Amino acid sequence: MATEKTDVVIIGVGAAGGVLAAELGKAGMKVIGLERGPRLTTQDFNPHDELRYFTRQDLRPNIKRQPVTWRPNANARANPIPVQNYGNQAGGGTVHYGAVSWRFHEDDFRARSQTIERYGASAIPEDSSLVDWPLSYADLEPYYDRIEYELGVSGKAGNLQGRKIDGGNVFEAPRRREFPLPPLVVDQAGAVFDAAAKKLSYHPFSTPRAILSKAYKGRPGCTYCGFCQAFGCHVGAKSSILVTVLPQADATGNFKLITGAMCYRVNSDNSGRVTGVAYWGPDGSDNTIEAELVILTPFIYDNTRLLLLSKTDKFPNGLANSSGQVGKHLTAHMMPNVYVAFDDRHINNYMGPSAQKHTIDDFNADNFNHADVGFIRGSQISVGTGNLEGGPISLTTTAPPSGVPRWGAAYRDFLAKYYARHAAMVAQTENLPYADQTIDLDPNVRDAWGLPAPRLTYDWRRPNELARVEFMMKKMEEIGRAMGATHVWRAPLGPGAPGAHHEGGTRMGTDPKTSVVNRYGQSWDIPNLFVIGSSTFPSMSGFNPTLTIQALAYMSADAIVNRYKKNPGPLL
Amino acid sequence: MSTHDEARRAFLIGAAVGTVAGAGLVPDALAQDHERHAAANAPASAHPHSTGAGHGAFLNDDDAAIVAAFTERLMPGAPGKPGAREAGVLNYIDLALAGAYEDLQDFYRRGLASLDAYCRKTHNAPFPRLDAARQDKVITALEEGKATGFTWPTAQAFFNTVRTHTMEGMFADPIYGGNKDFAGWRLVSFPGAQPLFSPEDMKSKDAFTRLPIIGLQAQAPVRRG
Repeated sequence: MATEKTDVVIIGVGAAGGVLAAELGKAGMKVIGLERGPRLTTQDFNPHDELRYFTRQDLRPNIKRQPVTWRPNANARANPIPVQNYGNQAGGGTVHYGAVSWRFHEDDFRARSQTIERYGASAIPEDSSLVDWPLSYADLEPYYDRIEYELGVSGKAGNLQGRKIDGGNVFEAPRRREFPLPPLVVDQAGAVFDAAAKKLSYHPFSTPRAILSKAYKGRPGCTYCGFCQAFGCHVGAKSSILVTVLPQADATGNFKLITGAMCYRVNSDNSGRVTGVAYWGPDGSDNTIEAELVILTPFIYDNTRLLLLSKTDKFPNGLANSSGQVGKHLTAHMMPNVYVAFDDRHINNYMGPSAQKHTIDDFNADNFNHADVGFIRGSQISVGTGNLEGGPISLTTTAPPSGVPRWGAAYRDFLAKYYARHAAMVAQTENLPYADQTIDLDPNVRDAWGLPAPRLTYDWRRPNELARVEFMMKKMEEIGRAMGATHVWRAPLGPGAPGAHHEGGTRMGTDPKTSVVNRYGQSWDIPNLFVIGSSTFPSMSGFNPTLTIQALAYMSADAIVNRYKKNPGPLL
Repeated sequence: MSTHDEARRAFLIGAAVGTVAGAGLVPDALAQDHERHAAANAPASAHPHSTGAGHGAFLNDDDAAIVAAFTERLMPGAPGKPGAREAGVLNYIDLALAGAYEDLQDFYRRGLASLDAYCRKTHNAPFPRLDAARQDKVITALEEGKATGFTWPTAQAFFNTVRTHTMEGMFADPIYGGNKDFAGWRLVSFPGAQPLFSPEDMKSKDAFTRLPIIGLQAQAPVRRG
């Protein structure tokens, strides 16, 4: 058993933890980062292999060693979910993500107020716990700018300081300056999508991605190999934490990364402060780190799990949980797909970054009138590959058009003809938060360390969300027909389990009675405990969360370095 | 494609293959070496079982015959259209059950036993002896959950798993024992793990036909002239 002392310990060195390690290290704080998985390098991702990384999910948690269970409601028994979408190594999900990098809309930060102002309070489903964020887009804009330039996000501005620009996203919130890099080269899926969307008077554009369209900060531009979502980048053009801020953290000389470390408890004392963490090493050793500041930045399940596992006599409901809100308001994107296939042309959809290549934002957020559609909040609609990954195994996991069987000569001929002639659209829906969508500790299932598995209680199939999915499916079918596709078909919807991009569990807010942390991710109850990541999002937006997680991490780092460090205590 | 792209592509292809081979970064020489290697040995190099019966790591002879026949109906071959047998799907499944999917050994044992009992009961013969139409009837009964006598795995679960593994054996890299000579990738026009596509490639509305197809250890021969 080893005991170490440090200023700061960070649990999980991914999108948020990597940023904090670099920034606190630069400020002279001694930082130890604990990471459950390994630290990989760019050469580990060469060459590419669909079976290993897409099918067998090599960069994601092993579902047998690290199960997460799901049940649709509190009366059902929970079973392990077969696919986990988060990362399991230094860099976290940014190693295998599609690198889609959005700023949220202004009204994403005030969805409740926006809805009431435009449609009245009755438009919000009674059982939804939709609330505004405790901060505005303007508060976060400087940090969005910071992270875009750290990573090298490729895109075209659609709103420069209020001036709308065709070809960019005209619905985006105002940005102070242009993206650091021009958009990535359009592939044929993007080209047919753009043409069809314009025909319908929508506003398509190249999705902003943290993938280098040109050499940037010593890294080479994208090679358009197509092995992007589910894979590590073989040239380091995808701006994962591994190749961006983690080297900055190393360079400070103040950062130590411990890999193979399974944190199982946050330690606290009777004064009401946390004192550090306990973790098991790869050899099974039981170790302790004493720290002045504990920052939790794992994937959202483990924030809730660690807080609940760390209960004491003083904190009988778990740490940071005097509000009783820990584990509540879980949300996730649903990703309904519509496929298209062409007789008269190829798409060669395996080329180019594979996820959400081009987008329309016309039906996202409150960008359109919801008065007569039967639901509030919207969805990003984009084109790319089914499952966000473009290899042939991926296509075989989805349903063919109606009339085509799933096996036999006709299925073989379908694959032979259409694999290189198909594309997929996806609607990434902003599901509302509900208090009874929760994470807690599974009483029946344990992980390889003997800890109770995180258990999700969740069912997205609520009237507001079902109406939104149907609306978006129709929009995607309309776009598919406008493309002139020979076949346009829906993929079947999955069960009620959470989809991609989980949010919630340690909600931020303005009131310690109804939220777990403040806008900086600082626990209301325990000022030297921070939780930073999408688990603090009060609502989710139809956009991918990573850039917002990273912007929040910069905002928290600033607050810790400039204010907390000089005067440790509540920031608000 | 520009000269710059061509050079970068050669480097990346060399690097892609070189990493697995454990060779240093001498891209041009390496790429040529691999081309020669591929031209001389392409069919054999990535297929440890390609000259045998396609099994031996896990499945016994009777079970292997059922898996071979079953997967060939799921993905049947035809002239110019390689199917499961030609792609070595049996070999893929056999190796996977001895390795990455060893936790499915009992799933297969029991599923195959239930399938065999069902075929003997309803058609008085084991699956491999049935004609194609009867085989398809049996598979449909599994797919629809109508085949009797299955407990665990259920008929549908067994069908779904064998279907999934058949697709993996068709389309996973040949290093895993299937997709022999890139049969699956040729069938659907997938060029493999290309490390680079040029802006011209991205503009094309036509089939991408530039060789070689690139796998983890093997490349398809580059046809010259």
